[in-house]
Amino acid sequence: MLDPAITSIRPRSRAVGITKGPGENTHEYTFVSRDDEQELKNGEYVYYELADPDGVLAEPRRVLGRVLKRVPLQLYPDTFLAEPEIAPSEVAAMVGFDSHANELFELHVAIMGYYDPISSSFINPWIPPQSGKQIFLADHEMLTNILSRKRAGENGSATIGSLLTRQPNAVPVVLSVKDVVSTHLAIIASTGAGKSYLASVLVEELMQPYNKACVLIIDPHGEYSTLEELPNFSQFSEAGEGKRPAYSATVRVYKPEQVKVRISSLDMGDMRHLLTEMTEKQQHLLSRALRKVRSDKRGSPWGAQDLLHAIKAVAKQKGDEESEGADDSSTIHALTWRIEQRFVDNFTFDDTQHLDLPEIFKPGQCTVLPLNEIDERDQQVVVATLLRRLNKARVDTERGKVHSGESYLPYPVFVLIEEAHHFAPGGAEVVSTSILKQVLAEGRKFGIGVGLISQRPGKLDADVLSQCQTQCIMRIVNEIDQKSVAAAIEGVGRDLLDNLPALSKGQVIIAGAAVNTPVICRVRSRITRHGGESKDAPDMWRQYFSQESQESRRRHDAPLNGNRDFNLLR
Amino acid sequence: MPANHNENLFLLVEGPVMDIGKIVKSYSHINYVCQVYGPREVSQVPAPPDYAFGRFVRIAVRSEQNGDHDAYIMSALGKSSEPQTYAVGVIYDTILVNPEFGSLGPRLSNETQVELFSPDYISEKAVLIYVMVLGMLEQRALPGGQQEILSVMHGVPLLSLELGSDVQIMSIEEVQAFHYFHDEGKNQPYLHMGYIPHIIAQRNSLLPIVTLQIIDQLEQLFPENLSLLSIVKRNFAWRLKVETTG
Repeated sequence: MLDPAITSIRPRSRAVGITKGPGENTHEYTFVSRDDEQELKNGEYVYYELADPDGVLAEPRRVLGRVLKRVPLQLYPDTFLAEPEIAPSEVAAMVGFDSHANELFELHVAIMGYYDPISSSFINPWIPPQSGKQIFLADHEMLTNILSRKRAGENGSATIGSLLTRQPNAVPVVLSVKDVVSTHLAIIASTGAGKSYLASVLVEELMQPYNKACVLIIDPHGEYSTLEELPNFSQFSEAGEGKRPAYSATVRVYKPEQVKVRISSLDMGDMRHLLTEMTEKQQHLLSRALRKVRSDKRGSPWGAQDLLHAIKAVAKQKGDEESEGADDSSTIHALTWRIEQRFVDNFTFDDTQHLDLPEIFKPGQCTVLPLNEIDERDQQVVVATLLRRLNKARVDTERGKVHSGESYLPYPVFVLIEEAHHFAPGGAEVVSTSILKQVLAEGRKFGIGVGLISQRPGKLDADVLSQCQTQCIMRIVNEIDQKSVAAAIEGVGRDLLDNLPALSKGQVIIAGAAVNTPVICRVRSRITRHGGESKDAPDMWRQYFSQESQESRRRHDAPLNGNRDFNLLR
Repeated sequence: MPANHNENLFLLVEGPVMDIGKIVKSYSHINYVCQVYGPREVSQVPAPPDYAFGRFVRIAVRSEQNGDHDAYIMSALGKSSEPQTYAVGVIYDTILVNPEFGSLGPRLSNETQVELFSPDYISEKAVLIYVMVLGMLEQRALPGGQQEILSVMHGVPLLSLELGSDVQIMSIEEVQAFHYFHDEGKNQPYLHMGYIPHIIAQRNSLLPIVTLQIIDQLEQLFPENLSLLSIVKRNFAWRLKVETTG
């Protein structure tokens, strides 16, 4: 029976059911409920009370569990359902059954444990509850306090939505930014499930005054440019107060032509990737030339011409060493031609210009790097060189090797990589794979957080995916993708992953380091406009035939009256 | 079963109530045997259609009329304005009793002669009908001769019936009223057959058939509830006809 002393300490919710006994698997139990109000949804949180065995705590512990499934125990007979016009309750009423309280369910619950605020984790009691214990629905406040590690609006928090099983905004789901940045994040979803929307919400949170983060977005589709309007919203700035300076978030969206890679930052692997199918000889020659041009220039930038000179010099030197050697002139010629073809007057690769690290990475600044006008192979090189330089800068700064200049970055950074399967595809090694793996493995030490976004987890390297300790998984229909997610992500239970095809747009399963327990969350609405939507083709076709556009087309295409020569000139 | 509809029409009678017999035995609190009145016992001798299978009957329950002689007479004359409680039952079996059957010994005179020569010789032949009590009906006579239904209950009545109580045919209005509940909680009156579960629990092979018969009658009384009734009817018909045959 209820102990009045206990209830007076902490108000508890109304009991929703009574325990039946242990469930099918260990750490599961079942309880029986009428659930008249239809509130025991799948994934809902319930608890029972467990007296503290040591008697230290005055109030009992609340052992939280998650509803896995509901099994009907008592339903209307099938024959009562024969007439679509007649409700079965009417038939039941006719034969004398009180129409209330007609259904009965057995609910299966996975035990999560009681929350230990000191370790901020759940401690499993290792025993299912006794039969006959009251089961309570966890209230909003309890869930707000124990599901998320941070409170909304706190320093280092990122409120990305609210618990799906409750009313919107009743139970906020708050990520711990510290854990997201130090142990990486993955956002996985099919097209149209709201990946980039979620990522933008996360970026918005990171740019809030309580985070003031340093964020880079690698954006192969140019979907994130709408973040540019972010500084216009008052949420992203705060007035200075006393010693605290005023803050205002900045967003810098690079233009595609501003994305440059200095040729001298390319290594042999990049060269091999860019100049495909080089012969052994060409590779040998090129690597020697690279070594030469690097030692000649001693860290100062060099260009394609310097490399070409070095090739000639190396070839000459080689020719002198091996006097009887074969004729290398064709190799040299081919290599020179290819390098000229690739690098001279190239849009992306430049002799002197490149992305300036301290300019890209600044606390309180979100930098969007659109790669949508760059060829896919070049994109990989851009990302690889950038990550390599970033990693070096952070390692050198942390180790105290540099104290100023271009590679001095005295703060952690967060890099969000969209279409991550381009940069670390499974089953194939591309130029960006190894540096990405290195950053993921060592980023924790040097303060580089990576957020990977992908719609094809099946195509993403499994090692890369498993390095991301916080997972945001949205609707995935493809079975291969579902399997690869299940294989790569140990933190999420099978029971949660079974919900993947059932998730709607904007609903996400969040698991891992940044939350206390896996939760299904409804992503909050964005403050800024969303840019990742598909084009409305029928609408655009219709516009083509609108009066104004027909008129303007006619004006444009019209032959200039009688003046043939002028018309030709146009 | 459209063919049955016309046959059932006669089960629903209009007009004044008619006594068909009296309670002579019971098998349980709800299961009674009624002996149908024979010739010369009542002015209007009931004919087989009057005690047909599936007919609703009512039996007066004597509750608090002990001692009050006037009230008893008034109620016997049908002029009492006091509420009268009836047990409502359904005829679910008929037995023809003939003690002479099998005694093929010497006989002095034939049946016609016995009637003629010794009129005080009481024939032991009888028709017994089995009545299953389904619920209670409380009604009161209004001054105009109309009957007002006060309350209806389906299920097992608390009071038992008495030996010798009259068994009467129920009128259409009474059958209708017996099945139409107007609960306080509900806005609309609704069709009620709360006795079905206890009919099923009786384990008598004729009772399911009597249920079908009842449903047929109700279909005529409540055409607006045809689809609701059809659910129960189909369920019964399936179990009774298809499952038992198959």
